[in-house]
Order: sequence, then C-alpha cells, then structure tokens
Amino acid sequence: MDKLLAELRSVSKSYAAVRVLKGVHFSVRAGEIHALLGGNGAGKSTLMKILAGLVAPSGGEVRLGGEPLVPATPAQAQAMGLYLVPQEAHIFPNQTVLQNIAVGMPKPAGAYRARVQALIAQLGVSLSPDAKAATLEIADRQIVEILRGLLREAKVLILDEPTSALTPHEVRTLFGHMRALRAQGHGLVFISHKLHELRAVADRITVLRDGHVVFAEAMETSPDAEILAAMSPGVTALDARERMREIEGAPVLALERLSGEGFVEISLSLRPGEILGLTGVVGAGRTELAETLVGLRTPSGGRVTLGGRDFRARGPADAMRAGLVHLSEDRQQYGLFLEAPLYWNVSALVHGTLPFFLRPGRERRRFEQYRAQLGIRCEEADQPVGRLSGGNQQKVLLAKCLAAAPKVLILDEPTRGVDVGARNDIYRIVEDLAEQGTAVLLISSDFDEVRRLADRIAVMAGGHLAGELPAGASTDEIAELAFEAGEAAHA
Amino acid sequence: MNRHLMRWEVLLLLILMAELAIFGMMNPRFLRPSSLLFGTSDFVQVGIVAVPLTLVIIAGGIDVSFASTVGLAAIAFGIANFFGLPLPLSLAVGLATGAAAGLLNATIIRLTRLQPLVVTLGSLYMFSGAATVLSGVVGASGYEGIGGFPEAFTALGYAQVLGLPMPLVVFLVFAAVLLVLLHLTRFGRLVFQIGQNAEAARHSGMPVFRVQLVTYVLTGLAAALAGLMLSAYFGSARVDLGSATLLPAITAAVLGGASIYGGQGSVLGTIIATFIIGYLQQGLQMSGVPSQISSALSGALLVLVVALRYGAELLRDFIPVRLRRAD
Amino acid sequence: MLDRIARDRVATLFIVTVLVLLAVGAAAPGFLSVRTAGIIWSNGLVLMLVALGIFPVILTRNIDVSGGSVLGLSAVTLGLTLNQGLPLPLASAAALGTGLLAGALSGLLVAVLRVPSIVATLGTLGLFRGVMLIATGGEWIEDLPEDLKALGAKSFAGLSVMGMVTAGAILAVWLFLRSRRGGWVFVTGDNRAAAHHLGLPVKRIEFLVFVWGGAMYALAGIAFAAQIGFVPNQAGSGIELRAIAALVLGGISLLGGVGTVAGVVIGVIFFTSIDTSLVFLRIPAYWNDLIGGAMLLAVLLIDGRLRIALEARDRAARYRRSGHRISSTRDLEDAA
Repeated sequence: MDKLLAELRSVSKSYAAVRVLKGVHFSVRAGEIHALLGGNGAGKSTLMKILAGLVAPSGGEVRLGGEPLVPATPAQAQAMGLYLVPQEAHIFPNQTVLQNIAVGMPKPAGAYRARVQALIAQLGVSLSPDAKAATLEIADRQIVEILRGLLREAKVLILDEPTSALTPHEVRTLFGHMRALRAQGHGLVFISHKLHELRAVADRITVLRDGHVVFAEAMETSPDAEILAAMSPGVTALDARERMREIEGAPVLALERLSGEGFVEISLSLRPGEILGLTGVVGAGRTELAETLVGLRTPSGGRVTLGGRDFRARGPADAMRAGLVHLSEDRQQYGLFLEAPLYWNVSALVHGTLPFFLRPGRERRRFEQYRAQLGIRCEEADQPVGRLSGGNQQKVLLAKCLAAAPKVLILDEPTRGVDVGARNDIYRIVEDLAEQGTAVLLISSDFDEVRRLADRIAVMAGGHLAGELPAGASTDEIAELAFEAGEAAHA
Repeated sequence: MNRHLMRWEVLLLLILMAELAIFGMMNPRFLRPSSLLFGTSDFVQVGIVAVPLTLVIIAGGIDVSFASTVGLAAIAFGIANFFGLPLPLSLAVGLATGAAAGLLNATIIRLTRLQPLVVTLGSLYMFSGAATVLSGVVGASGYEGIGGFPEAFTALGYAQVLGLPMPLVVFLVFAAVLLVLLHLTRFGRLVFQIGQNAEAARHSGMPVFRVQLVTYVLTGLAAALAGLMLSAYFGSARVDLGSATLLPAITAAVLGGASIYGGQGSVLGTIIATFIIGYLQQGLQMSGVPSQISSALSGALLVLVVALRYGAELLRDFIPVRLRRAD
Repeated sequence: MLDRIARDRVATLFIVTVLVLLAVGAAAPGFLSVRTAGIIWSNGLVLMLVALGIFPVILTRNIDVSGGSVLGLSAVTLGLTLNQGLPLPLASAAALGTGLLAGALSGLLVAVLRVPSIVATLGTLGLFRGVMLIATGGEWIEDLPEDLKALGAKSFAGLSVMGMVTAGAILAVWLFLRSRRGGWVFVTGDNRAAAHHLGLPVKRIEFLVFVWGGAMYALAGIAFAAQIGFVPNQAGSGIELRAIAALVLGGISLLGGVGTVAGVVIGVIFFTSIDTSLVFLRIPAYWNDLIGGAMLLAVLLIDGRLRIALEARDRAARYRRSGHRISSTRDLEDAA
C-alpha cells in the first residue's frame, strides 16, 4: 500500500511578480491521509489547485500515477481520478440532491440513483436524493460534495477544510468515512487548521509556510509544539488572558430572555470596558443574536436595555446612533465595499455625519489616523480595499466601526481568515479599546481566541445559552458546554 | 478606480475629437459652429435620460421604461393643456407624471425584490399603453398627436440662451446638476456604495431603498423633461416621442463607463458619450449616409466598445491581480 | 393553497387562462370554438418561436433582447433571396443561416468576451436592425411568392406547416431539456462557478444557447413572412420584450436555472389569448399594451409578494424546527 498516487516535484507558482509557491515537494500515497497545514497565504490553496489539475505550475513537475500530469480542464482532471472538495460546497440550489451529485458524469442522473443511495447509506447520513438542494443545511451540502468525489471514484480526494461547518458528531462520521476510503486504497489530502482533527485521522503531515515546505513528518512522531513552531515561528500556542481585570460599574448592555430567529431566551450583560466572549459551534445562533441586536432581524420576545434604557434598534443606523456597532463575520459580503477607496470604507458607517458636499480631504486625514493607529499596510487612502490582504481588510473594517465611536462593539469572528501577525495586532487593538472603556461582545468559534481576550465567557449551543465561565476556563471546559448541548440538539 | 475612469473619459473625449475631425474632412460644413450647436437639438433628449439612467445603473438597477415615460408625460401635458389648464400647471402635470412613473417602478421593484429589468419592462408596456389610451381619450390619433399648444410653449423649443439652443442648455444644466450630485455629494457616494455592495450598505445602515427610489424618480423626471422638450420642438405630444431614445440612452450610459453590475460609472462619461453617439448619426446623415445605417453603426459602436472593454479585462485576468484569492 | 399558486405556476396560469377565456366567451357568444383555438395558436406562432429561442438563454441566467432584430434580418434575407428567384428551401436555409450567425455573434460576445448579456444583445439589437435596413434600403419587401404564404396557411389537420414546425420545436426543447446535456443548461444558470468546477463546458453551453436562440428567431422570421405575406422594415420590433414578459409570466426565472417548457407554452398562449379576446370584445387594439403591461406587473407583484411570504414562512419554520429540537432535548435532560 505504498504506491505513489500523485507527486509534486519542486513545484513553484508565481502570480504576476509574486511567488506563491517556491519549490514544493508533496506526494499522496495510496491508502494514506496526508494532512496539509499552513497559515493564510502559505500557499495551500494554490498547491491543491495544482494537484487537482486546475492550475498549471510555473515550474517543477506534477506526476499522477507515475505519468506527468498536464493540467487540464476540471473535467479531465476529474476523469483522471482527482477530486477537490472545496471549502464552500458548490451547490445548484434548484436541482435535486441526485442531480447535484451526478452533474458532469457521463450518464444522466437517473443512472446513478442506486449507486448514490448506496453511498448515502454507507456514509450513514440521512439525505434524500430527491430533496431540492436549496433546502439543505451547510453540513449536508458538504456531504453532497464528498458524495460527488466518491461517485467519481476519485483516487485522490482533496478535502479543503471540510469540517469547518460540521457539528462534532458529523465530524466523527466524516472521519469514519475517510478511514474507510483509506482502507480501500484511496489517497486523501486533508486540509484543516485544527490540529486535534488532523491528529485524529492523518498519517503524515506537511506544513507550508511562505510557499515553502517547512515540516514534513509522520503524524505519530510529531509533537504539537513542533508543528506549531514550524507553522508560525515565534508564536507558541496562544496563552490564556495574561491579566485578570476587575470590571465594575452598571451594565451598558443587558439582554433579558431575548428570543429571536435561531436563539431562545438569552440573558447576558456587558459592562463598560469589559470583553464578553460569546462562543459555541457554528449554527449556535450567535450571529443571529448579533444581527437582532442591531435591528437587522426582528426579536420575538424578551427585552434589551442599552445604557439603562429600553432599546430596540430599527436598523444598523439606529443602533449606531445609540452607540451599538456590529462588525460582521463576513467582511467581503456584509462589511466592506471592495471596489471603493479605503477612506470611503472608513466613512461608510458614519455616512450620516458627512457634510452634504463631501470634504474628501478630511476623510483622507481620518483614514491616515486609523492607518497609523491600527497599523494598516497600504499604499494610499484612495486604494480600493479589495487589493489589501485579509488581515489589512479586517483592520479597515475595524476602522469603519471605530469611526462611529461605539459604546458597545459587537465583533463577529474578527480574525476569520487573518494571518497570525495581523491576528495579534487585532487582539492588541481590542484590548486597547476595552481599556478605554468600550464594552466588547466578542463572538468567536475559536476557543483559544476567546480565552485570550475575554473577561467572561458565555457559551451558546443550539440557540440556548449553555452556560457562563470565568476568564480562566480551559478549552476543555468550553468545549464541554458547546459540544454536549450542541450535540444533543442535533441528535 | 477613479483614476481608471478618468482615463476612460479622456479616451472618450479623444474618440469624440477624432469623430468630429473625420466628419469635418468629409464635409467641412459639418464643423460650422451653427450646425454643431443646433444639430444637438436632435439628440440631447438622449442625454437627458441617459444621465439619470447612469445613476440608476450605478446604484445597481436598470430602467428601460423611460422610453415610454417620455411619451406618457408628454401626453399628460397635452391633455392638461387640452382641458385648458394654465401652462405652468400643465408643465407641472407632465413632470409629476414622470416622477410618478419612477416612483411606481421603484416601489414595485422594492415590493417584489424582482430584477429591475423585468419590472421596468412591464412598465415600459404599461406606460406606452396608458399613453395610447389617454391620447385616445381626447381623440388624438397616433401620428398627429396632441397639439394646439400655446405660442409661449412651442417657442421654447427654438429659443436661445446666450446663443445656445434651449434644448442643449436644458441638457447641460441638468447634467451639470447631476454631475455635482453624483460625484461631489454624500448622496452620490451612497449611490456608488449601494451599487458596489447592497448588503454591506444595508449592514452599514445606509438608506438603500430611499437612494434607489431617488434615482428612479430622477429618471422619470428626466424622461418627462425630454418629453416636454420634444413636444415643444415638434409642436405636438406623441406617444412614441421617446421610443427612439431607449437604445441610444443605454448605449450612452454604458459607453460612458457605467458598469451594468453596478458600482461604477460617471456622469461626465455619459455626457461625452451622448455627443459621440449624436454626432455620429448627424455626421453620417450630412455625409449622405441614410439614417438606417447610422442606427446600425451606433449598435456596432456599442458592441465594439463593450467588447474592447470586457476583452481588455479578460486579458488582465490572464495576468491575475487576484493574489488575494490565491489563498 | 398559497403553496400551490406559488409553486405550480403552470397550473395556476392554465386555470387563469381558462377562466379568462370562459369569461370572454360569456360576454362574446361564438368566442368559444375550435376556430378561436386555431386563431390563438396561429396568432401566437411567432411569439412562441421567439420565446422558445430566448428560453434556454434565460435558463443559463443570461438574456437576449436581440430576438426581434434577428427575426427581421432573417425575414429580410428570406424575402430578398426569394425575390432574387431562389427556391423556397434554399431561401429558408439562407434565413436560418442568418439567424445562426447572428446568434453566434451574440454568443461570442457573451461567452468568450464575457460582456454582460443585456449590454451585448442591446448592441446586436441595434446592429442587426441597421444591417436589415441597409439590406432593404428602408423599403418594404412585398410580392413574396405564393409557396411561402402557403407555409402559413392551414394545410393539415387545421395546422399550417409553420404551426407544425413550432410544435416540433416545442417537443424538441422538451426532449432536449430532459437529456443529460439539457440538464447542463439548467445547471449553468443555477451556479455557473459550480458547473465549471464540475467540468462542464460552460462557455460552450452559453455560446450554443445563443446560437439556438438565433435559429429560433430565424424560424419566427420565416413564420412571420409566411403569415403576413410581406416584410415591413419594423418586422419583429419589440417582440423580444413580449416574449420575455410571456416567459416571466410562465414562471421562468430571470435568475436562471428554473423554468419548464410547459411554462413557456402557457405563458405565450395566455398573452395571445388576451390579445385575441380584446379583438372579440371589440376593444380597440390600442388597449393591448396597457392591459398586457398592467397584467404583467400585477402577476409580478402578486408572485413576488407570495414568494417573499413563503420564504419568510419557510425560514420561520426552519428556526422553529431547530428551536423545537432544542426544547425536546431539554425535556430529555429534564427527564434524565
């Protein structure tokens, strides 16, 4: 079972003048799960696109089953036994599950019904082949993608962060199936940020940093510390909050048995200068809660007080005037105007305070202040924000929120898709804000992030408040609350 | 982005100059100031609707109903005049009809969340149908239209301001107001940002619907203005006054740099494009080319220009700027 | 009930059409007859062919507004070649070839150059109309030979040749869309990026639907010339908008990926029935656009509001379901 299925030899790739991959060796053997780890911008996605036959390397060689792979259309790559399960499932919402899976296969969908049903049974998921794909939840969409790969009998199956939207139970089911595929002689590449997941299934691990392979060993013989050190030298595992702070004073924001779309009877309170971590797994109802607070959704019951007075936002502009600002989790879709100049973005939330005849000079100066304060790396205030890296985009989004001088700031996944350096910058900024008296509601699925920043930790699961923990709580304690309740809810 | 657009406008200006030079060589009469100036009366109505249409497109919408609104507003004015309303009041009726048409479009788009193209396509029919029925009310036939306007009104069509023809003045003033509104004010900023990302605009508390509503109402008003101007110019209000503006006005907006996906565009570009299209038709006519060919050429011009624009973008994609997507 | 109306547009529209026809029949005796049915069918032929041409284009989430111009250009090609003395089959082939070329140009702009289809086809709309006018010199083409007019006259079982061709085209689209490659058309409109990811030749699909459209508009041009016996220079002008309106009415989503051939047919028949009824009710023809436009807007408004209401209900149900799931586990915990 040591046959090489696919092999990349000193592969490099450049976009314009930027070298994304610099001489990478990588291989997939039959009957193994090969983990690939790396920070944002390390070159993982490009590497996988080259392996999947979607992108041609600028240098080096790709071999598939001993033959050189000439990168081709996705169809040809799939016919050669490569399938890339993308991070976000590609779904045809108006087609049935069966049609979704069979699209692009040589026969009409009907011919694959029996096979697909067998695969669904094997996977142990409850999925009807005739359901319309629009009705599927995120986890099921991921399953559809995996079924696509299986139906195509892919020899090499590349899974790009397949677990990010799954519940722990679903993750375990997925892992069971990955092991079964391994036993059948498939080669799997498994990309994830979660070390404990990689440890659970992977045989080998390769770590990529700045387009180089910096670590390649058997999983068993590689301690966590070594892997982390390879991934981001100088940064060891993030510590829990260094100092405990005493927060006093009356709550600035209080929720009393607030219910709405996706959450039930949530009671929370937040004092000025406090960072309240709100964590849980995806789908726990946290984002819905945040959107309800700023008036993007309608609550169905309970009450909110802001600064001691009853408060119900009619919309984000209304919430902002009352001092409540929400930084959305999806910065490209809901947060930023990617084509617009940086300074437009910073003024976007406070657009109501701009003079009718605009004074761009003033706005540029305000941007320059935030640029210095937050360490935004860019060329000039007129640059479109879409050209910046993920971390710098996030800082611009923070600047947009800060321009409104909020009393209460809701941060929804503030470091998603942000590299380690920028992540530490953002942590520092959030701490400074709290130091100056802003109350911060930090919504995050990253338990370490919550432990690093929060003064108190509230855990949500399946729409309910599962419990509250003090700052020193361990990852295990948080996980217990988040998963146990969440899992029960999904069972 | 702004810089890119500026380049585009400079390019348009060069095209316009080249066009004038070529026609001037073919026929020196073409370049006489009087023909250059007074020829504009035949096409400025295209520009009058194209400029607010540019705003609609930038804000992520589209409107094709203005082509009927022109006739509808003219007929409404004609009927008001027919029933003996004083001139200012009749003019107000015409303009109000245009604004109401825009209001109706925006409201239905908002209520149904349907694509603006579908909704305004429906109102394109309904408005021209309404205009036909209304002109039947006063017994006017389709070809002659409603006439009998006061002298003071028809004189407006041929009046001069500082030696410039009235329609041109109306166009330039109207376009200048919208130029300032779009590029220098808070409202204009909202128009751009809503077109770039409507969801982000909503999450930023921007009045998305109100801004889009204003762009549609402005287009309706402009269509009414064009309808009134053409009625004065021809001496009668007809249902089909605006039907020939549909294609050239959209062409002018797109040629001027407006992206059909929203978020991009420029009033100045649309103004220059209006002159390019207008003088193209005029120059061809003066050179003895039948008017049919000139309409083919303006279609060809649109195809060529957008093919060049999008083709160039395609080429740029091969040298990806998409580094941020690389990982 | 709401579900049915919103989810089964074809059946609803069918019932509405029948009701409208019955109402007109009550008001104008003699309206409800086989003859009227024949008139509606033959009045709707040209619109039906144009709608069948645009239909696959819209399924791929594109749009084609050049249909009327291609119709005119093909009809002119047909007329000019016939009057040059070319036999009918050759002249028809020339007309069809013109349509295919015209469709290919639009397809090239959209699929290869990635020009937004509304912009591209607005351009070709003007271009083809102009080419047509150049070809005719602005004159109408008259004195078309009798064998062409025979195509539009009833010949077999109350159907004209063009009527049978149209029925054949309906059948062909229906069969094709059920096939594996037909599914690709839906899928491309549903999620283009995903279709590409799964290895479908999306560019070729987009190109070919425009070519198909061109062919159908050419057939419509032939039917048009056969039915009225001459080619005016505004032939086909504006028919693309009527066809798009009929498609929307028939439940074909302009967002791509959703629509049925039955919807196309019933949408076109509904539109034609209204026009035909107005004639029977002796309502002057100038009411047509107002009534048609108001009806389209009314359908859009009702349909849009229903859809929004259903979506809100589905969403509420989804949250309730998860809420229920939560509380039932709570109950279990309590019991434990």
